[in-house]
Amino acid sequence: MGGFSFDNYQRNKFLTAKGYPVPTATATGTTIVGCRFDGGVVIAADTRATEGEIVADKNCEKLHRMSPNIWCAGAGTAADCEMVTQLISSNLELHAMSTGRAPRVVTCLTMLKQHLFKYQGHVGAYLIVAGCDPTGPKLFSIHAHGSTDVGYYLSLGSGSMAAMATLESKWKSSMTKQEAMDLCAEAIEAGIWNDLGSGSNVDMCVMEVNKPAVLHRNYRTPNERSIKQKSYVFPRGTTAYLNEKVKPMIKPVAYDIFEETVTSTGGEQMEIDG
Amino acid sequence: MYAEHFSEPATSHVASAPIEHQFYPYASNGGTILAIAGADYALLAGDTRHITGYSINTRFRPSIHTLENLGGPERAIVVAANGFSADGDALVRRLAQRAEWYTYNHNKPLSVSACARLVQTMLYGKRTFPYYVHTIVAGLDESGRGEVYSFDPVGSYEREQCRAGGSAASLLMPFLDNQVNKKNQYDAATGLPQVATDLPLEETLKLVKDAFSSVTERHIHVGDYLEIKIVTKEGVKVEYFPLKRD
Amino acid sequence: MFLTRSEYDRGVSTFSPEGRLFQVEYAIEAIKLGSTAIGVATAEGVILGVEKRATSVLLESSSIEKIVEIDRHIGAAMSGLTADARTMIDHARVESQNHRLTFDESMKVESVTQSVCDLALRFGEGADGEESVMSRPFGVALLIAGVDENGPQLYHADPSGTFYRYDAKAIGSGSEGAQAELQNEYHSSLTLAEAEQLVLKTLKQVMEEKLDAKNVQLSSVTPEQGFRIYSDDEMKAVVERLEGSEVPLV
Repeated sequence: MGGFSFDNYQRNKFLTAKGYPVPTATATGTTIVGCRFDGGVVIAADTRATEGEIVADKNCEKLHRMSPNIWCAGAGTAADCEMVTQLISSNLELHAMSTGRAPRVVTCLTMLKQHLFKYQGHVGAYLIVAGCDPTGPKLFSIHAHGSTDVGYYLSLGSGSMAAMATLESKWKSSMTKQEAMDLCAEAIEAGIWNDLGSGSNVDMCVMEVNKPAVLHRNYRTPNERSIKQKSYVFPRGTTAYLNEKVKPMIKPVAYDIFEETVTSTGGEQMEIDG
Repeated sequence: MYAEHFSEPATSHVASAPIEHQFYPYASNGGTILAIAGADYALLAGDTRHITGYSINTRFRPSIHTLENLGGPERAIVVAANGFSADGDALVRRLAQRAEWYTYNHNKPLSVSACARLVQTMLYGKRTFPYYVHTIVAGLDESGRGEVYSFDPVGSYEREQCRAGGSAASLLMPFLDNQVNKKNQYDAATGLPQVATDLPLEETLKLVKDAFSSVTERHIHVGDYLEIKIVTKEGVKVEYFPLKRD
Repeated sequence: MFLTRSEYDRGVSTFSPEGRLFQVEYAIEAIKLGSTAIGVATAEGVILGVEKRATSVLLESSSIEKIVEIDRHIGAAMSGLTADARTMIDHARVESQNHRLTFDESMKVESVTQSVCDLALRFGEGADGEESVMSRPFGVALLIAGVDENGPQLYHADPSGTFYRYDAKAIGSGSEGAQAELQNEYHSSLTLAEAEQLVLKTLKQVMEEKLDAKNVQLSSVTPEQGFRIYSDDEMKAVVERLEGSEVPLV
């Protein structure tokens, strides 16, 4: 059975009143963008995952494959983005099999928005959906409550303002693939530098009409860690321990020898690999 | 069967109190500071990033202040008050003025210990409307040894060998305990706990730079530049070190 | 002395046409009516000595308190209207403790003296016509002795709010003679014990009564022990030593 379980609803309400706060899901500060070009569409994302002020993952993946030709960039609650993306991806696959056609981007979009609307914003997924299908290259965004937008260029997440500033100033109609890729990378970098919730690298996915989608994992890596000035290797024996016990991983098995055969190699030298 | 509960926002059941709008005079401006005392130096370091929320206000706002003209160059005192920067600035400016008055009234330089006590009285003076800051004061004592004093927002203070304050203090402090005070390190030969010794300045500088570049990796408030002020008998030296900007 | 006296000696903060503040000058005169107090500073510490003038045979001489502690490292001897000294001493004590509280260190002797002198000028009308705390100048002078990072020191503070540092200073009725004696006898290599004797000897010369262990009081301020008032036994011992060293009069 799918959906949410509300078994603990009453209990949690009681606990909250007692002063035990509800655990917060990791709402990742993120920058995601998408941009159309002549003959395709490109989406990009940063790779920082945060838990409050702490960087949880320096190189996470925010680009999700919905179908071979449709990809999705996610912002908001990490778990919600992942789960909703996987669920709709599965349903899309079933849909493709039952129709015998590759799924269309609008189909993916509709399934996602219907799911999100059903949950009234409690599934905190903010997505940019893009892909190519027989109707051409498509680019959409979806908000957690289920509303959707269409655009030539879009941005979402805590770094969306920084990214949109770049998109608004540099976007032009009928761009080449490389121009769109450069623009998206620059928009994500604007988020990486200027939004504290975004950081590390740029991931990118390019979807062209009648071509397999290409994922550029770590398309740009402008934040490589510098070399440390000191070595922090501890000499063996630095850490104290209370007692020591060695357990063999493989238990010795008692056995009896019933028969022993010795075969001769016929006096020839055993072959040894060079 | 759950639809009835779910049709309302989960919080509406909990929020029984009426909605209140009130003036909140504090803000958090991020940043992290770190001080270490050595045998013949004291050092105070901090990143120069100034933020509110997820935004960077500026990448370069030096936050380590120097109290000068208190005697010779070796009598300089370095101060940083991290947290709500408006309060930090107010505190440091008032402290600088009090230090100046002290030299006029008593015709002698303000010692670091006297300065520390002065900071306590100033912080506790606002016990009911505190300066929202974590304060660190560092300098040299009469014999030329480094000393570091750290304060909570309402004036509780202590002299220490090293101390981190601000956003990433909880990330830095265990590293300092281990590397400066040799906590949880044992001598392999004797099995006895390793004892903390005064680190030479060169080693400390490496340690501080590594500490900040590492904390930059894992804390979103920290980055841009590291400012290090070093007090020796020659006076105050300043060093800047670039940090990652993401 | 008071030939130019006129109505200008009424207002406490009114200058005479000659540029004098009569009330302050009278206050300084009041001190000359007081009992003699002497201070001598040496490299080892400072000695303060006062004469305890008994106005009646029924007076309990131990109740005459003319040397007081300001802080553990500072003491003061007074001459003049000793009741006025209470205000000054209380102020000095509060300032000294306040300094300890605020700076975690003892207050310098000069700073304490300065703060007492600041107080001495708060007489007359307030700046904005506000009520002033004091109607007249203090009628008392203090010898403030103490030890700080600059070593043992002796200061003299008078009702005009001026203060000077002295090696040796006498105030009160016998001050003129005593000061001359100190000038002759003082030298910079004096020991504390020699200073005790110098103070007693000088007091003895200017006192009307015959000096004994009851009608004088000594105190010392040293780096080791801080401020200390001599006990009756100690007083007896130093007075005996003074008499022993003297050539008996024929």
